[in-house]
Amino acid sequence: MQRHDVIVIGGGLNGLTAAACLARAGADVLLLERNAGFGVAAGYDVAPGFRMPRYSLGTSTLPARLVADLELTRHGLRLLRVDGGVSLLAGGAYQASYRDGIVHRRELARVSPKDADAWTRYRRDMLAAAARLRPLLSRRMSDPSKRSIANIRRLLGAADAFASIGATELHELTRLWTLSAADFLSDYFVSEEVKSHLAAAVLSGATFGPFAPGSARLLLQPFMEETGAASAGAPAAVLALGGPEAVAAAFVAAIVAHGGTVRTEAEVTDIILRRDEARGVSLANGEEIYARAILSDLDLKRTFLTLFPWKELPSGLVKRVGRFRLRGVTAKINIALDAAPLFPDVPEGCPALLGVTRLAGSLDEMDRALDDWRDRMPPRAPLIEALVPSLVDRSLAPEGKHVMSVCVHGVPEILHDGPWTGARRDELAELAVKRIAERSPGFRDRILALDTLVPPDIEAEVGLTSGDFAQGEETLDQMFFNRPFASLSGHETPIRNFYLCSASGHPGSLAPGGAGADAAKLVAEALGKRGIYVPA
Amino acid sequence: MSDDTDLHHPVDLAALADSARADPALFESRSVEPVFARRVLATPLHMNVAAESRTNLWTDWNGYTVAEVLSDIEDEYRVLRHAAALADISPLFKYRISGREAAAFLARFAAGDISALRVDGTLPVVFCEDRGFVVGDGLLFRLGDDEYRLVTEEPHLAWLLDSAIGFAVQVEDVSSTLAAISLQGPLSARILSAANFAGVETLAPHAARWFDVAAQPVYVSRTALSGDAGYELWVDPEDASHIWSLLLAHGAPFGLAATGFALREIARVEAGRARAGRDYFGAFSAVEPESASTPFELGLAGLVDLDRGHFTGRNALRAAKSAPLRHTFSMLAIDWPEPLSFIGIHAGADMAGVATSTAFSWSLGKNLALAMLKPEFLDKPRKLHIEAEMRHGFEVRRVIVPARLVSGPAPMGPKP
Repeated sequence: MQRHDVIVIGGGLNGLTAAACLARAGADVLLLERNAGFGVAAGYDVAPGFRMPRYSLGTSTLPARLVADLELTRHGLRLLRVDGGVSLLAGGAYQASYRDGIVHRRELARVSPKDADAWTRYRRDMLAAAARLRPLLSRRMSDPSKRSIANIRRLLGAADAFASIGATELHELTRLWTLSAADFLSDYFVSEEVKSHLAAAVLSGATFGPFAPGSARLLLQPFMEETGAASAGAPAAVLALGGPEAVAAAFVAAIVAHGGTVRTEAEVTDIILRRDEARGVSLANGEEIYARAILSDLDLKRTFLTLFPWKELPSGLVKRVGRFRLRGVTAKINIALDAAPLFPDVPEGCPALLGVTRLAGSLDEMDRALDDWRDRMPPRAPLIEALVPSLVDRSLAPEGKHVMSVCVHGVPEILHDGPWTGARRDELAELAVKRIAERSPGFRDRILALDTLVPPDIEAEVGLTSGDFAQGEETLDQMFFNRPFASLSGHETPIRNFYLCSASGHPGSLAPGGAGADAAKLVAEALGKRGIYVPA
Repeated sequence: MSDDTDLHHPVDLAALADSARADPALFESRSVEPVFARRVLATPLHMNVAAESRTNLWTDWNGYTVAEVLSDIEDEYRVLRHAAALADISPLFKYRISGREAAAFLARFAAGDISALRVDGTLPVVFCEDRGFVVGDGLLFRLGDDEYRLVTEEPHLAWLLDSAIGFAVQVEDVSSTLAAISLQGPLSARILSAANFAGVETLAPHAARWFDVAAQPVYVSRTALSGDAGYELWVDPEDASHIWSLLLAHGAPFGLAATGFALREIARVEAGRARAGRDYFGAFSAVEPESASTPFELGLAGLVDLDRGHFTGRNALRAAKSAPLRHTFSMLAIDWPEPLSFIGIHAGADMAGVATSTAFSWSLGKNLALAMLKPEFLDKPRKLHIEAEMRHGFEVRRVIVPARLVSGPAPMGPKP
C-alpha cells in the first residue's frame, strides 16, 4: 500500500506552492496532477516550434518572497522584468507604462502635464494601501462566528491592524474598497487616456467594469509586489524565461529536491473516507494512495462536488458550495506569427511593447463590455491583451518568428442563445484578429496558426469550473473571511485531514500562491502536533 | 460681504483647463523623439558645460544631465570659497504664476507672509497641504505686480493647479523655457561687473533685477543656495550659452571656474539647507504619514506666519505648533579629518536618527551631516555618534566618532 505524509491534488500555482513548502518542511509529499502540464501554466506548441502558454497570458505574478523562500532560482527559474505595457486607445492614441519615474512622468505629460505630477501622489497612495493590505493577505482567515481562543486572537489581530491606521488613512482605504475605479482615478487624473490606460491594466479577468462600485481596489493589484519610492514609475511586467511552464518546472524541481514526488497524468477521482476522515485518494486507474493529510488545489466546486459522494458531506455543504460563484470571463487565443507584429501608433522601439499590449477603448467601452458579458452576449468591443513573449525569449519561436498570447476579456461561459460552437469560436477569434489588425497593419497575413479556447474549453481541459482563473469571483462577499464562505475560510474543511489550498480560499488571486503557502503552514503545524515530524 | 475675493469666483473649468495647458515648448522634445528614447535630457547649457569638463563625470538631476564634477572636487570647492564658481542649475522647476489674483492665490498657497514681497524681490517659501505637512519649498520671485515665479526642487504643477481653483490666476510650467546659471563665491559681484552687468554691486541681498548684457535681457537675483555671497541668473535658453561664455571669459582673471552638482550638494550641506526628495519627503510622496513633515519639523518655522489670514494648512499648523515634534531636521558636525560615509546617527545603543545628506567641508576640516533626528535626543544632551566602516586593504576598521549638533549654517569664508 502506497503511503505518504501529504497528498496535494492539482498542480496549479497554489498546489505547487503547498507541495514545495511542505516538502521543504520535511514532509513526504506526493503531488498529483491530472494533465501532462501544470494548471494554467501548461505550455504547448501552437504550431511545431512555436511554444507558448496554452491558457495563461504568460506574465508572472509570482511574489518575490515565494521565489526567495523556495529558492526557485536555484531550481532553474529565471525572471525577466520589462516595462509595464502599452494601451492602444481610441483615435490612434496610446499610453505606455515605464518603470523609470522620469520617463513615465514624461509619458503622462504627453497628454497632461498635470497628470504627470499627479502620478507621484497616485503611486504614493497605492504603495501605502498595498502596505496596509499585505499583512491581511498573509494572515489566516477564520470564521468570525467560531469562538475558539485562537480564533478570537486572530480576529483581534486583524482588528488591531486596522485600529493602528490613522483616521485619514482609514478614510483613504475605505475609498479604495468602495469607489469605482473611474471615480477613484478622477481624484488624481484629468486625462481620459491616462485613466483608461490605468484601468485597462487591471481589468483583465474582472467581472465588473471600471464604473462598478468597489472596482477601485483592482487598481491596487499591480502595486502589491511593488517596492521603491513614490517618485518611481509604473510597476514592471515580469516574464519567466521559458514561460509559465518554466515556473511550474522550477516548483517541481524544488519539490523533488526536498524529497517530494510529482506525478502527472494522475487524475484523482475520489477521496477515500473512513469515519468522516480523509485517508487517501483513488486515481482514475484504480490505484489507491494513502496519506495523513490531503490538500486540494482544485476550485471549491470541483473539490467538493466531484471528489466526494455528496451524501458523505455534512448536510448543507453541497448546497452552499453550489452557490459559490465561479465565473469565466476570459478566452485565450494562441497565435503563431511569421514576423513580429507592428504597432505604428507607438513609436518604434518602445520598450513597453515588451510588456502587455492592450486594446483598451474608453472607460465607457470597458464598462459596457462587462455589461454585455453579464447579458451573456458575445463580446463586441472587448478588452484584449496581447503578449509577444518571444520578443524577449527567443527560444519560444523559430528565428525571426513569434508567438502571440492573446486574452479576450468579457467572454461569457455560455452565450445567451446557446453554447459555444465551432462557428462561434471562429467569430470570436475573427473579432480579436480584426481588432488587433486595425492597430497592426499586416497582422492577419502574419498568422501561421491560431487556436481559440473559450471558458468551457478551459474548464474541460484544466478543470477550472466555468473557466474562472480566479477560482471564484472576487467581490467583497467572496473575499477575506468570506472566501469561499465563512465556515470554510481557514483552509480547514469539515472533513478531517482534508484541506483546501486553492485560490477559492483567502487570499485568492490577491496574493498568488498565498493560499498554498498558508495551507501548507497549517498542515505542517497539524502534522507537527501529531509528532509526525517537527516543522522547520 | 467679505473681501475674500476667491469666494466670488465660480470654478471656471474651461479656464482651469487652459491654465493646465503648460507652455507648448515645455514638452517639445516629444515631437523630436519619443519619451523613452532618452531618459536624461540635456539642459540648454549642456554643450558649454561639457566643454569645461575634464572628468566626463555626469549625474542626473530631475531628469537632466548635469556635471557631477568638472575638474576636481577640492579645486572646485576652493574656487567656491575663494573665487567664484559657475554652475548650470537649469534643472530646477520653475513656475510662472500670473494674473489679477496672483498675490491673493500665493497668500493662500504659501505658509509665510508674502505681502512684504515687492517687485524685484525674492522670498523663500514653504507650502503645505491641509494636514499641515510640507508639500515643498522654494524661492518666490516677484517679477511684476501680478507676476510671480516659483522655483522649486521638485515638480508641483498638479498641486499649484489644484490650489488655484477659484482664483483668477494662470499657472504655467516654464521649467524648460528658462535656463538658470548660478554664480557663487566672494568674487562673483566683481565678475558680474567685469562682464558689464552695470550696477550689479548696488543689488541688495535677496533682490533681483533685469540687466541688459550684450543686448540680451538677463534677470539676476542676488540669491544663492549658501547664503548671500552669490547670484543666480535667469535667462532664455537661447541666450544661456552666450551668457555662460561671457561670464567664463570675464571671470577667468578672477579665478572663476565651472563646477558641478557635487559641489552644489556640499555647499547646500554647509548651509544646512534641506533638499526636497532627499532630506525630506513632500506630503504627496511620503508613503507613510510618519515620513511627511511639518515646517516646524524641518526647522522652517521662520517661513510660517500663523497670525495673518488663512492659508492652506493653517489650522493644522496651529495645532502642530504646540504639539511635540515627531522628528526634527538638524545639522551635525563630525570631527574626522577625512570624508566618512554613514547613514545612522546613534545615541548609545539607540538609533537617534538618519543622516539624509553628508558632506566633507574642506574649510572646516570635518564632516557635516544633515539628519532627521528623533526629538528626544535633542532635549537630553546625550552623546550622539556615528559609526563608519573604513577599509584598509582587506581589513575593515569600524570607527565611532562623536557627532555634535550645530545650530545654523556653518560659518564659511569671508563675506563679500
